[in-house]
Amino acid sequence: MSALTGTGTLTRFILRRDRVRLSVWTLSLVGVTAMTVPTLDETFSTPAQRQARAALMETPTGVVFGGPGYGLDDYTLGPMMVNEMTMSLLIALAVMSILHVIRHTRAEEESGRAELLRAGVLGSGAQMTAALVTIASINLLIGGLTGAVMAGYGLETVDSLVYGLGLGLAGLTFGAITAVCAQLTEHGRAASGLAFLAVGVLFMARVVGDLAEEGGNALSWASPFAWVQQTRIFDDPRWWPMALYPLAIALLFGVAYALARRRDLGAGLIPGRPGPAEAGPLLNGVLALHLRQQRGAIIAWSVAVFLFAISFGTLATEVEGMLEQNPDIVALLGDASDDATAGFLSVMSGYVIMAAGAYAALSVLRARSEETAGRAEVVLATAVGRIRWYGAALAVSVLSATLIVVLGGLGIGIGAFAVTDDSSWIGTMLEAVLSQLPMALAFGALSALVVGVAPRLTSLVWVWLGYSVFATMLGALLGMPDWALELSAFGILPRPPLDDFDVVPVAIASAVVVAAFAAALAGFRRRDLTTA
Amino acid sequence: MASPAIDARGVDKYFGRFQALDGLDLTVETGRIAGFLGPNGSGKSTTIRVLLGLLKADGGTVRLLDGDPWKDAVTLHRRLAYVPGDVALWPNLTGGQAIDLLGRLRGGLDKARKEDLLARFELDPTKKARTYSKGNRQKVALVAALASDAELFILDEPTSGLDPLMEAVFTRCVLELKERGRTVLLSSHILSEVEKLCDTVTIIRQGRTVESGTLEDLRHLTRSSVRATVIGDPRALGALTGVHDLAADGDRVSFDVDNEHVDTVMRALTALGVRSLVSNPPSLEELFMRHYGDETAVLDGDGGNAK
Repeated sequence: MSALTGTGTLTRFILRRDRVRLSVWTLSLVGVTAMTVPTLDETFSTPAQRQARAALMETPTGVVFGGPGYGLDDYTLGPMMVNEMTMSLLIALAVMSILHVIRHTRAEEESGRAELLRAGVLGSGAQMTAALVTIASINLLIGGLTGAVMAGYGLETVDSLVYGLGLGLAGLTFGAITAVCAQLTEHGRAASGLAFLAVGVLFMARVVGDLAEEGGNALSWASPFAWVQQTRIFDDPRWWPMALYPLAIALLFGVAYALARRRDLGAGLIPGRPGPAEAGPLLNGVLALHLRQQRGAIIAWSVAVFLFAISFGTLATEVEGMLEQNPDIVALLGDASDDATAGFLSVMSGYVIMAAGAYAALSVLRARSEETAGRAEVVLATAVGRIRWYGAALAVSVLSATLIVVLGGLGIGIGAFAVTDDSSWIGTMLEAVLSQLPMALAFGALSALVVGVAPRLTSLVWVWLGYSVFATMLGALLGMPDWALELSAFGILPRPPLDDFDVVPVAIASAVVVAAFAAALAGFRRRDLTTA
Repeated sequence: MASPAIDARGVDKYFGRFQALDGLDLTVETGRIAGFLGPNGSGKSTTIRVLLGLLKADGGTVRLLDGDPWKDAVTLHRRLAYVPGDVALWPNLTGGQAIDLLGRLRGGLDKARKEDLLARFELDPTKKARTYSKGNRQKVALVAALASDAELFILDEPTSGLDPLMEAVFTRCVLELKERGRTVLLSSHILSEVEKLCDTVTIIRQGRTVESGTLEDLRHLTRSSVRATVIGDPRALGALTGVHDLAADGDRVSFDVDNEHVDTVMRALTALGVRSLVSNPPSLEELFMRHYGDETAVLDGDGGNAK
């Protein structure tokens, strides 16, 4: 029996088990490309418009989200696609690859299922190999289809297909990084955290390198995020950077297999550390417990929103020039406006509200999973009442969403201040986001109401949130009618600084939110606790 | 005598159309250890969740420590401690943190007793809960409950993940509770455990109480098993009223006898000339099998003379 015995069976099993999950990833990523190419083509239809957009890509924010900026001199559809889409696609592929590899390696070991399988006729390397074979297939499939779609829209066939291959290989490289991380810790969550950290560091390396030197320096070249764009596809192609992917993949897999051979099933190379034997004085109530459970997520969301907000804020001055060149952008931003900067920043404030709303809902749903996991039962069997437990969970939702909103407004203001030298933007943007706070909290309140009264309908929250995000971001561009736009949560309240602050709708929205929270508490007090 | 610690009468509970509890009765006197027996899915955990006010009864009356478990949950919970059947803990907290947290939420725990229990249950409180096995998670809940100064302990299959050594530790802990005059409701399907610990037993099936009373009461309803070596031919004993499952092998004989007929059967046995005699009281195992084993009994063609 070789180390790979059973790999084929296991590969088919993984594809069977994840057929829905992998299909959704494939369809949505290829679908995004299929929708983006014609949208870019129509939005930036004249050379002047395209060059205005290219100027935007040369700004620091453009470099962060776009890349080193090859092909900006003649910004046709090909370079546009590579500059606008690559980072989003690579990040999505990285997330998919990390989750997949951990799910089929370390998480299997942690749950004990690997033990069951390994006791059968299965080689010691079969599980990792099957995980890697499947993630390689799916990355290359997504890359290949993306390339084919682009070629289908009339872009150069060779460049399109090489670009697709590059995306797929980059995704596989992230999978290989994850395979190494999976050897290090005993727990799936710790391993995926490590892999996300590694990918984040590599992303930042590319950003810093590309900002430091036009076309990137050695730091950029250390990152797999850089290589696919360094081929200068659609501009002045050179193919050799593509060879870095197979080299890195082979090296990382070699390391992962070598580490795997040196350890026992279920063990990690980094042993789990013991924690405190007693609870500290802070861990003394349900509010502290809820906060403790969400500490990491709240910090991560706050920092991410703050950093994104700053980078959006720094675009404030670029927008005016862009709008002069391209009136269609106004549609992209969702509102016609005389004051381009104010219009742009109020749209950005809407993004902050979306992020905070999503977190407010997620936070409340954490309480629901505490309930279904049976941990709420343990707490509610002590001298903690329903209202106190659920009220504390809702308070955490409100506080964390408010924190995200404030940091987001502050971030946009600071970014705008940095490029305009006008410090009043900080106050203006804080006021802008705070006047929309009720809409962010509305998602927390709606989730709370559903969980409190009809927990089975939880998914409805995501339908409305998803619709609202979609309508806000693309509604105007797609020419959706006004009534459809107004169904969006983010279309309900006036949006300063573009719109004037109006106390009446804000007061009504706040009252509705408060009433929903109260009804949620009353409902949770009355219903049975459900445990899965 | 004070009113019972737990007094549930005619409790109904529906989940949608499914009736989980069907007129269930359960009474536990203060200071007693009550066994609560039933197969999986019979409604033990549902009953306990009703007693804790986590579920609302659809019918009947429930009194717990002289209060209404649904309305007075918080005040009642200060006076009771609960160990769930499947203990879920916070993966990122250590066992020690979880124990302290649960103690604080209940209103304090005895630190010395906690240290003592950690030592006796050989639990490492510095490990993160996600690394604990089922047994260790159960120990966390047990230490948190037993270190409290509650009047009533509600334990839902508390030993299902423990090894025999730890079961013995658990048994001693429960007997200490009894010495301190505490009331315990112990749900289980481990019969020897209930037999060792409990003063009273309630057996439920499909959400209904089918038998309840002291172990003595229940034993009166049942049979003793007898094994004997006799001089005469023992086969004639099979014809006597109250004798079941007689097996004779030469001069050796074994049979079960209804307790109400022991006297006449023993007279007939001694008339045969007894060389050796072993008689066992009915084990809870047998009580249990009588209530849950009747499908099997019917299949075995034993249904007719089972009663």
